[in-house]
Amino acid sequence: MVTEEEIEQVAKFMKIDVHNHKEYVEKVHNMIDFFDILDSAGVEEEEVTMNDLPLSTLREDKHIPFEDKLIEKLKNFKGTYVRAPKMI
Amino acid sequence: MTKIGLEIHCQLTKLESKLFCSCKANYRENEPNTNICPICMGLPGTLPRLNQKAVEKATLIAMALNCSIPEKIAFFRKNYFYPDLPKNFQITQLNIYGDTSVGGRGVIMVGDKKIRITRIQLEEDPGRLIYEGTSSKNQITLVDYNRAGTPLVEIVTEPDFENPKQVREFLKILSDLLENLNVSDPSLEGAMRADANVSIEGGNKVEIKNINSFHDLEKAIHFELTRQESLHSREIPIALETRHWDDKRKITISSRSKEEELDYRYFLEGDIPLIKIEKDFQEKLKSEMPESILSKKERYVTKYGIPEQVADVLSSDKYYSELFDKSHNKNNAKEIANIITTDLMGLADTREKRELSKLNSSHLTDLADSILSGKLTRNSAKNALYEIVKTGKELSKIISELDLGNVSNEKDLLQIIQQVLAEESQALEEAKSNPQAINFLVGKVMQKTKGKADPKLTLELLKTKLG
Amino acid sequence: MNLKISALEFVEQVKNGNISAEDFVSATIDRIKNIDEKLHAYLQVNSKAIEQASQIDKKIKSGEKVGKCFGMPISVKDNICVKHSKTTCASKMLENFVAPYDATVISKLKEQDAVFVGKVNLDEFAMGLTTEFSAYGPSRNPWNTDYVPGGSSGGSAVAVSAFECVASLGSDTGGSVRNPASFCSTVGYKPTYGLISRYGLISYANSIEQIGPITRTVKDTAFLLNILSGMDSHDNTTIDNGQVDYLSCIDSGIEGKKIGIIQEMIGEGIDPSVLSATNNAVSKLEGLGAICESVSIDMVKYSVASYYTITATEAGSNLARYDNLRYGYDFPVEGFEFNSYISKARTKFGPEVIRRMILGGFVPSAGHAGKYFLKALKVKSKLTKEVSEAFKKYDYLVAPTVPVLPFKIGEKIDDPIALFLVDINTVLSNLTGIPSISVPYSISNGLPIGIQLMAKPNDDKSLLQVARALESTVRLPEVPV
Repeated sequence: MVTEEEIEQVAKFMKIDVHNHKEYVEKVHNMIDFFDILDSAGVEEEEVTMNDLPLSTLREDKHIPFEDKLIEKLKNFKGTYVRAPKMI
Repeated sequence: MTKIGLEIHCQLTKLESKLFCSCKANYRENEPNTNICPICMGLPGTLPRLNQKAVEKATLIAMALNCSIPEKIAFFRKNYFYPDLPKNFQITQLNIYGDTSVGGRGVIMVGDKKIRITRIQLEEDPGRLIYEGTSSKNQITLVDYNRAGTPLVEIVTEPDFENPKQVREFLKILSDLLENLNVSDPSLEGAMRADANVSIEGGNKVEIKNINSFHDLEKAIHFELTRQESLHSREIPIALETRHWDDKRKITISSRSKEEELDYRYFLEGDIPLIKIEKDFQEKLKSEMPESILSKKERYVTKYGIPEQVADVLSSDKYYSELFDKSHNKNNAKEIANIITTDLMGLADTREKRELSKLNSSHLTDLADSILSGKLTRNSAKNALYEIVKTGKELSKIISELDLGNVSNEKDLLQIIQQVLAEESQALEEAKSNPQAINFLVGKVMQKTKGKADPKLTLELLKTKLG
Repeated sequence: MNLKISALEFVEQVKNGNISAEDFVSATIDRIKNIDEKLHAYLQVNSKAIEQASQIDKKIKSGEKVGKCFGMPISVKDNICVKHSKTTCASKMLENFVAPYDATVISKLKEQDAVFVGKVNLDEFAMGLTTEFSAYGPSRNPWNTDYVPGGSSGGSAVAVSAFECVASLGSDTGGSVRNPASFCSTVGYKPTYGLISRYGLISYANSIEQIGPITRTVKDTAFLLNILSGMDSHDNTTIDNGQVDYLSCIDSGIEGKKIGIIQEMIGEGIDPSVLSATNNAVSKLEGLGAICESVSIDMVKYSVASYYTITATEAGSNLARYDNLRYGYDFPVEGFEFNSYISKARTKFGPEVIRRMILGGFVPSAGHAGKYFLKALKVKSKLTKEVSEAFKKYDYLVAPTVPVLPFKIGEKIDDPIALFLVDINTVLSNLTGIPSISVPYSISNGLPIGIQLMAKPNDDKSLLQVARALESTVRLPEVPV
């Protein structure tokens, strides 16, 4: 059971100003209910696996500067800093 | 029962490049946002490229702290939003699926006190924020991403510290160790930072964040202990919370707790497979590990008979111990140790001084040998050292240029003694009856010779003269 | 100019001097001008394409070494970075984002003298099955323009099927290359995870997605795979494929091969015409000497729930970087506080993306991770084991690509769960990392049906052989556009 409050809370964490909560609550609620099927999969004993790589294949520790002046292609202020809203 | 634990962040400044890209690891000389690339800026479509040496150095640290090293290490995402975090998640390490961070369950001795190391993890540093604007309306945050992606090792301790003094000692031991290991230069600004957690009398644990220097760390811990003790004495319960260190007012402030209820949604970083740290590679690393400080100290004491306190200073400082190890032999070891820990100290105690210094190990060898052979007095040697550090010239050149050579020629010395006795007739009379007064005359001879007279010989000759 | 040729036929013709790259690319651009208004496959067309093609013609004339592609016009899904080009992911959040670097696949194709003719449409941030979730309007199925072309690589499939390019690069997270390929009657390929570098592919669910080619023939896919595959130091998840040549021996046939028909993928809910096409395909495969049998993979039942839980979690994290501070669209920061600014800025995401991100904040959250996210990961592990078991007995697995026929635009857009289930046959190969391909098989009431074949990890060469074998039994009508 997902409540409107929970949706609002999660939207806050995900930093999205969800205006029309009702619209999302219903659809997200249905999606989460659908996921309940996972409970009957009987997979408690399974382990989470992942591929591995030997240390020797990793990148060499070398300084290689990026050729272009990247900051000029991004949003910036005073030509050098990136501007962000004030922090409280 | 006071319990203090630490979370230390140490930049791997000895690396050439960042943790996941080839930008410079040491960003300090760069203009804002000039040490960046698509990867550390988290541009769409970019992927992290793990730095092999960073894993090696982190493993070295884990070994030096006596941790157990896992066979495979994994990286995780810590998800939260902040302007200094280009991807709005940090790639870090955790141990939620077994032991997957670079090291764990280690130990460091602080005197007799055992401090347990919970874990060591490799992670990336965020960028830096600058606040601009005075009024609430025009306030803006400026972000510099030069530092974003710099390799960090986070060292987490158990709350084994009982007082701030232990913390201070531990931090010195740790920074010397990290420097000795050649993984980091702790004297660089911002290279080592620490957060603390504090609890008293079995009460709630309070985390203190936003501490910018080790000096502040001690202050913050002191303040927090006082604050908690004060609450405790009034039987007010201590809240379980995170507090921020306010650098200006020198107090800890409670962070707005609702905002702090962050859920990091940790999960495995899918762009980096598990990395195998094979046993034979670990052995190789171990064999290549620089000699530990403790081992050096022991060597200095047992092999060369250097006094413990001197050996302490010598071994715990990488610059000094390297100089010592390169310049000494069986005979002059003690003398060199002495020169380093007395005369050199004032001339080479900061990073800037060391960078400008022209001194090398062969200078020290020459200096010590000259003192031991009697060619130079200790006093002259001090002056010579100053010149060497400034100019880097050969000792022999400096001795002749500055006329520092010992006046040990009896004939020359006698002449000077005659002069002094002629000038100090009253002292001469006194010296005949009062042996202490001879020292005054020795002093005058030293003055006349600008410290170059051999004090022992001078004393002998004076005694003879006085009969 | 006949545009209705395969990539390999194009290369032959240009090599022989029968056609010039410039003329062909020029005709392609004309074709786009003529029909794309109706189909809306393209978001951007490369105005320099014809010039680039003529440069390649010059190289050919002068006897200089020319790359394998000889100027062939290829379109690129707009979630793959092309340097100096806008890369929008069909989203308003990236309206003004110009990529400052080339994806590895783009560099590789450039080296081989391919010409990029434009960026094509997708569901926003690759989240969707119909291309209806594009912020710039849906694409339309060339077989019947009232119908969806599939998704999320809808633009790619439309462009290839309607002869607006010779081949296209799409991306496949849960079927996003195979599904539209099936709906538009083209070949769609999802390689073994790690075979093609993801560097430059804007991430949606990075632990399972791959870039995949959409082409007219199986041989064309093999041709492209030769160029695109291989270890890339920019992507730590790429694997060593042993420098395999995917084109050689592609016609060696399937005599004696054992093929498992996945029961759970032809069960309840399957459209009868899709079922009969599948049975038909199975008998064709048997006719070529293969032995086909039913096989059960129990975890398929849970694979859709597992897939959407995992992808929501990864998407929630992968899309966190879009806070409009470093790039994005025009929206000044003055007067705002950090949290309220980015929360407002991020409302430019479309509703489906927002839903997925809310899910992505929910299912791995501290209170719910055990029930949802961790369970989903465990289902993934168990599914991988079951598939591995199946491959001990079988060389390949077969099933229809999509259990239903293409449906009308607007038909399923309000029912997320119904949409989820369209994926049920395709998510398996993403969750397990195995390679899979959709081969266009038949047309039913004017709507295409594709058959899906799968093989063991890193067995892509062998997979292309069985796909080629099946393709050789098929004679399809021409697309009516």
